[in-house]
Amino acid sequence: MSKDTVIKVENLSKQYLLNKGGLPKSDTLFGSFLNGLRNVKNITSKPQTEEFWALKDISFEVEQGDRVGIIGRNGAGKSTLLKILSRITPPTKGKIEYTGRMASLLEVGTGFHGDLSGRENIYLNGSILGMHKHEIDRKFDEIVAFSEIEKFIDTPVKRYSSGMYVRLAFAVAAHLEPDILIVDEVLAVGDAAFQDKCLGKMNEVSTKEGRTILFVSHQMAVLSALCNKSVLLEKGQFVGMGPTDSIINTYLHRGEKNTGQNYDDSAPVKGAKLKIRSVRVLNHVQTTVSEINNAYKGFIEIGFEVLEKSRGYDVSLELKHLQYGTIFTTCLKDKDTEGNDNKVWEKGLHKYSIELPMDLLREGEYIISAAATIPKVEVLDVFNYDTLFSILDSTSPVAKTTEGRNGAILPVIEWKKTDSVII
Amino acid sequence: MNKDKIIIDPNLSSFFSWNDIIRYKSLLNNLAKRDFLVRYKQAFAGIMWALIKPLMSILVFGYISTKISNSENTATNFVYVASAMLLWQLFSNVFNDVSNSIISNSNLFSKVYFPKIIIPLSTILVCLVDFFISLIILVVLFVISGQSLHWQIILAPLFILLTVINGLGLGLYFATINVKYRDVKFIVPVILQFGMYITPVIFNTNYYLDRMPSWLHWLFCLNPMVGAIDGFKYALFGSDSIYNIYYFSLSVCVSFLFLFIGIKYFYKFERNFVDYI
Repeated sequence: MSKDTVIKVENLSKQYLLNKGGLPKSDTLFGSFLNGLRNVKNITSKPQTEEFWALKDISFEVEQGDRVGIIGRNGAGKSTLLKILSRITPPTKGKIEYTGRMASLLEVGTGFHGDLSGRENIYLNGSILGMHKHEIDRKFDEIVAFSEIEKFIDTPVKRYSSGMYVRLAFAVAAHLEPDILIVDEVLAVGDAAFQDKCLGKMNEVSTKEGRTILFVSHQMAVLSALCNKSVLLEKGQFVGMGPTDSIINTYLHRGEKNTGQNYDDSAPVKGAKLKIRSVRVLNHVQTTVSEINNAYKGFIEIGFEVLEKSRGYDVSLELKHLQYGTIFTTCLKDKDTEGNDNKVWEKGLHKYSIELPMDLLREGEYIISAAATIPKVEVLDVFNYDTLFSILDSTSPVAKTTEGRNGAILPVIEWKKTDSVII
Repeated sequence: MNKDKIIIDPNLSSFFSWNDIIRYKSLLNNLAKRDFLVRYKQAFAGIMWALIKPLMSILVFGYISTKISNSENTATNFVYVASAMLLWQLFSNVFNDVSNSIISNSNLFSKVYFPKIIIPLSTILVCLVDFFISLIILVVLFVISGQSLHWQIILAPLFILLTVINGLGLGLYFATINVKYRDVKFIVPVILQFGMYITPVIFNTNYYLDRMPSWLHWLFCLNPMVGAIDGFKYALFGSDSIYNIYYFSLSVCVSFLFLFIGIKYFYKFERNFVDYI
């Protein structure tokens, strides 16, 4: 361990056992007892478990003062890594060495109790995060000021608005003084102004006080603003570590995924009513593509198999810009021209497609996720794969000027000269 | 600020250490404070419930005991029952609350690291506060019955501690099982309900022992609460409460054995709680 290294992760692996077929591992004493009896009778049907490596052979080092982003898709092992680092769950193999006091913020307001006042919760939450009473005493006023809820400090937090709740919770966490701070995607809550304030605080803590931060987020813009280095994980494997911008670039261009189509031929779960089979991106001549030029039309096609004849099914598609987040979610029933609302869905494969509003979408990488539900009743299926594609911009006025433009969407809006005399 | 080097690896095993408790003293206090504040929030009688609950049991069982044993001195009989009943309730609260404490606080340790032993310990603090409030009943009954105090009273805290040890030992064992098998929350009340009738709560130890064959005596005294209650009565009322010093010692040994097993078992699985909760 060199002098400045504060965290050293070596061959870290975490295995979970998943139940698969056979008898389920029982969660009740009585069930275990019954399983025991059944096993005596029929030795072949032992509970079968499948090994699943949430993390496999991860190694990296973090130096003091580094702000390290952890990047990866859902299921890449980011949260598992943070949980092992913060000693919540032990690794299966490998080890971690770190120096100094570590605090983790995997959730804002851990341990907040609705019946207690803001004041009482500050002490409770602070002590859960590892602060001593005298530390909290000393910073109490600062915490209250940061959270902007002075007037309500003696009101039970169950009467707070959700914004106030999050502000108070983050304020406590922001005043921890650990050497290493671990933050999971907690900033997704709270309004933009408060998010900025929190990021500012984290930046300040790291640059001025030399603290080390490990940060997970799906928002690339936030990561590139806050983190000087990043680690990229994929399906539990370590892909690389380096300057954040180059890692984000690698992440966005993990080529083989960017195919504009995904199929799922696996057997449906027993009792499933509906299974999503395919998501494809189509261009103006109806061929599957991974890139669409915004001069032409673009479509998303979804195929799903109805396994149980019934009514009430709804299917949704979510379009997400990798950098700016979700752009929109659209549902089959939204614009109900075919009377799908009361339609009885016949068994078999159904295909639908939507036209993308190309005149609104900016250039960049997009992810499509799909799900099927019976609205307000149950989630029928969530498509296992994120479908990636990109939109190229060659026609919009912005493309012509070659300068960047902020914003998640890029509508071309006409400006009209007015004759208003009011200044 | 300590700059300890910490190593996390699969084989790392922790065990009970006073350092942990001292380091997380604020957490211990705050969790206990939370449980105590929340318990009586929005209850009209508030903290009075800490008195009413044991008082009811004492009245009912005191009456039964007086009727059955044809005792002449009702007040004295009530003090006897009260002393045993309060200690039993302390045991039963600690046992029950500790065995549920890990599950009911899983939202905490699945998000933040701290030594998990802090949770059952804070539960004990709350039970102790309730116990000390309910001691008021005992003091009042003591005055009414005109009992006098002996030097042995200084031993009373030891037997309160012994009661807590009993509840903690068993509670930790069941709390660990509870992480995987939620049946525990049904089993513990059954054990407690049954247990009260084989523990000298309503009657004295000799009342039970006189009525059973002598070969059963040692079995009866394997109950760790026999030692705690007899000892507590000895501290309050003087010498004749401890029936047989060997049986008494046996019971105390069982207490410590349970504590040892409870702690050992708890720490064996403590690190993996999150994966099974």
